Amino acid sequence: MKDTPLANCERDFLLKAFEEKKRLDGRQTYDYRKIKITFGTDYGCCFVDLGKTRVMAQVSCELVAPKDNRPNEGILFFNIELSPMASPVFEQGRQSELSVKLNRQLERCLRNSKCIDTESLCVVSGEKVWQIRVDVHTLNHDGNLMDAASIAAITALCHFRRPDVAIQGDDVTVYGPEERDPIPLSIYHMPISVSFSFFQQGTYLLVDPCEREERVMDGLLMIAMNKHREICSIQSSGGIMLLRDQVMRCSKIASVKVSEITDLISKALENDKKARKAGSKCGFAESIPQERITALKMEGTPVDVEGVTERASYVVQKAGTPPQTVPSPVVPLPGVGQVGEGIHSTWGMEEEEEENNISGDEEDKVIQMEVDKEDSKRGDVVEISDSEEEEVVILNPETPDKTPKSKPPSSHQKVAAKTKKKQKK
Amino acid sequence: MTQSSCDALHFFRGGGMMEVCGSSTVSLREFGCEQSLLSRPDGSASFTQGDTSVLAGVYGPAEVKVSKEIYDRATLEVLVQPKVGLPSVRERLQEQCVRETCEASLLLSLHPRSSLTLILQVLHDDGSLLSCFLNAACMALMDAGLPMSCLFCAVTCAIDTDGQITTDPTAAQEKESRALMTFAIDSTERKVLMSSTKGSFSVSELQQCIAVSQKASEKIFQFYRDSVRRRYSKIL
Amino acid sequence: MAAGFKTAEPLEYHRSFLRENCRPDGRELSEFRTTTLNIGSISTADGSALVKIGNTTVICGIKAELANPTVEAPGKGYIVPNVDLPPLCSSRFRPGPPGEQAQAASQFVADVIESSELIQTEDLCIERGKLCWVLYCDLMCLDYDGNLLDACIMALLSALKNTQLPEVTINTETGSPEVNFKKRHELRIHKHPVATSFCIFDESILIVDPTSDEESLVTAQLTVVTDDEGRLCSVYKPGGTSVSGEKLQQCINQATARQREIQKLINKVISSVKTAQ
Repeated sequence: MKDTPLANCERDFLLKAFEEKKRLDGRQTYDYRKIKITFGTDYGCCFVDLGKTRVMAQVSCELVAPKDNRPNEGILFFNIELSPMASPVFEQGRQSELSVKLNRQLERCLRNSKCIDTESLCVVSGEKVWQIRVDVHTLNHDGNLMDAASIAAITALCHFRRPDVAIQGDDVTVYGPEERDPIPLSIYHMPISVSFSFFQQGTYLLVDPCEREERVMDGLLMIAMNKHREICSIQSSGGIMLLRDQVMRCSKIASVKVSEITDLISKALENDKKARKAGSKCGFAESIPQERITALKMEGTPVDVEGVTERASYVVQKAGTPPQTVPSPVVPLPGVGQVGEGIHSTWGMEEEEEENNISGDEEDKVIQMEVDKEDSKRGDVVEISDSEEEEVVILNPETPDKTPKSKPPSSHQKVAAKTKKKQKK
Repeated sequence: MTQSSCDALHFFRGGGMMEVCGSSTVSLREFGCEQSLLSRPDGSASFTQGDTSVLAGVYGPAEVKVSKEIYDRATLEVLVQPKVGLPSVRERLQEQCVRETCEASLLLSLHPRSSLTLILQVLHDDGSLLSCFLNAACMALMDAGLPMSCLFCAVTCAIDTDGQITTDPTAAQEKESRALMTFAIDSTERKVLMSSTKGSFSVSELQQCIAVSQKASEKIFQFYRDSVRRRYSKIL
Repeated sequence: MAAGFKTAEPLEYHRSFLRENCRPDGRELSEFRTTTLNIGSISTADGSALVKIGNTTVICGIKAELANPTVEAPGKGYIVPNVDLPPLCSSRFRPGPPGEQAQAASQFVADVIESSELIQTEDLCIERGKLCWVLYCDLMCLDYDGNLLDACIMALLSALKNTQLPEVTINTETGSPEVNFKKRHELRIHKHPVATSFCIFDESILIVDPTSDEESLVTAQLTVVTDDEGRLCSVYKPGGTSVSGEKLQQCINQATARQREIQKLINKVISSVKTAQ
């Protein structure tokens, strides 16, 4: 589906507003939208709301063989799925420019920054390691998918627990969550991406652009940083020239934002841990807000099943029983059967016979393989059959490699005769 | 699954009730629904049944690709997004079930040469996933304000080894069951719109499950009505 | 004239026949097309069958391969069905990756295999956790004229019944498997599931064994799979107009009768092949 185009007057209005240091949603230049982090029922499932932008990250793991050049390291795999739910422009199963860009940025942010101890994911060196897979699904696109995805991914990785394993000789036993407590991943630091958008060739700068703002921006600068103020990745796109001071200023802003977001993530993780420990319900069902008129919850209800058995037996009895006798099938030749008197199949009987004979011949072949020397059997068949067709087929070895060399030369002539006959038909 | 219904279940497993399935008490898990929760789609809804939750978004009626255009009605496309990995063949079958059920209840001929897209995202699978898909789909279509001839809801029934019917089973109950059936029921005549089954079962078990689903559908339709009433009431 | 009417108003054309309780091809509403079965059509496959229902033709070839069992099910082999709808069989299919219908059919066949337990996957295990058989069941449609699922299930069952697996022994010294092609044994088929498809025309008229013309006009489709004990393995109705429990019961009864008929046919053909040997 095509996206709704942005009108020129909308564009002009937005740019004019930026000149007056105003944003459409009332934010200040360096303000983030409200961030909300919720967790799913599973370990490693995290939802992030960034204003109206919404993403979900799910971490999963699997035992696989390691890469040849790194036999002692686990594998990290990231996938940002631009689901058509987020925006009608996104198409399923198509690698768009945006999805490639986001995937690469996320990989740079989380894999290349070595924030996860991949060596601890090794089970048997060179044979079995854990592959950690992070799937990020976009649910609603209202700009700045990258920041939302990076928060969701790192939070989900912090939240995730992998099953415990034990090694005994060659056998690797994977314990379920009931048998042994699952183990969290060891995470060294938490890189978080912060996006800056530039307007009017870099004159104006905004943090956390929304979708409208993204559409009028000239350039984008993404800085991934951890709370120790270490830059993990920095990328500028859109083809604008930035001054050194601008980049320095952005990195300063980023460091403030990153420490705020990191605190928020730790708080969310802490809350979830407490809730899980207390045994209260957690997960998506719990995160449905109750104070909205668009949401409703119904307690579990019993279903009255009175009269169900009676109704079922009534229906079954009413329909009666199926007829016990069925028409007998016709078997014109071995290997072929026919049933029904409906419209006639266009598979003519004459052709059918041929087809059949071939199949019959093939049946013989199985015997050939078993008996190896097919002479006695074949001899028998030739004697029984009297039709010309049958004879042709029997002497027609379609697999000369398997048949013994002692075939009479006449067979080849007959094969030729048969092919001729077929051509005539 | 709520604590209370969990207890109820254990109670009667432990109680050793071995009666024929129809007479046992069956229940639905806690239901939850939120509509219009996403800003981009024209209609959206999240539906939760116990821990199973699905998010649905609808776009349309909108411009259709020429290759998919149908001259006398709208083209409905259903996409199921699994939580981990890419959609596989199993999702295709679920997509087909949801699409054909929606096609039967939507008045597609009112929007010829246009496209409708319904996207279903799994948020958590704890059994009865197909029925949750259908319920979420119906709520999202309602939210999008698309004209429909009737509403539909879906119920999953599991038959365990004792022949007991459990409606709206959890993933653990599904695993223990010997047969699993999902039916979509329409709101006008309470007939079967969709049926998808797994495992083998007898004719009378099938008819009992249909009858149970029809009874359970009353509760779900009541839930639909309550949520729509609440939505347009302006009072919490 | 009739041809023009059919092209211009296909729905009205079919309705005019159905009003008289018959169908454009001369069948009654509950009449199946002629069903022809040929077993052992492909010599290079481990088992094969060709099924023709009217014009719809499906060929099934079974290829058995040795593989390692999965970690989750060390004592089981597996069966991988695949339905192919090449452009050859109908102009409605395009070349390229399998379309939705082909994928849905493959999954349906896989579900029927699992639900009906026609083969116990434990039978395919050779050595627990080490070696098992994988049966690749390739179903290729040669001519598409409706009712694909019935033809697929029937071809699959007949081909599996025709399958002969060579004996495999594991060499105790080297630990490698040795295949003895001279000694073959049949697969154990526990159940005989047969699919019967129905269509609902104009929200009320029930017809069996639809042709592709009919399929494109109907408001709902329904497939019932029953086995030899009269149990149901699948009641698959992907959507469409609603049916009542009573109507469903009628379909099941017809499906049960059809199952007997087809099972008889398969058994007779199988025995004819055996006696011919």
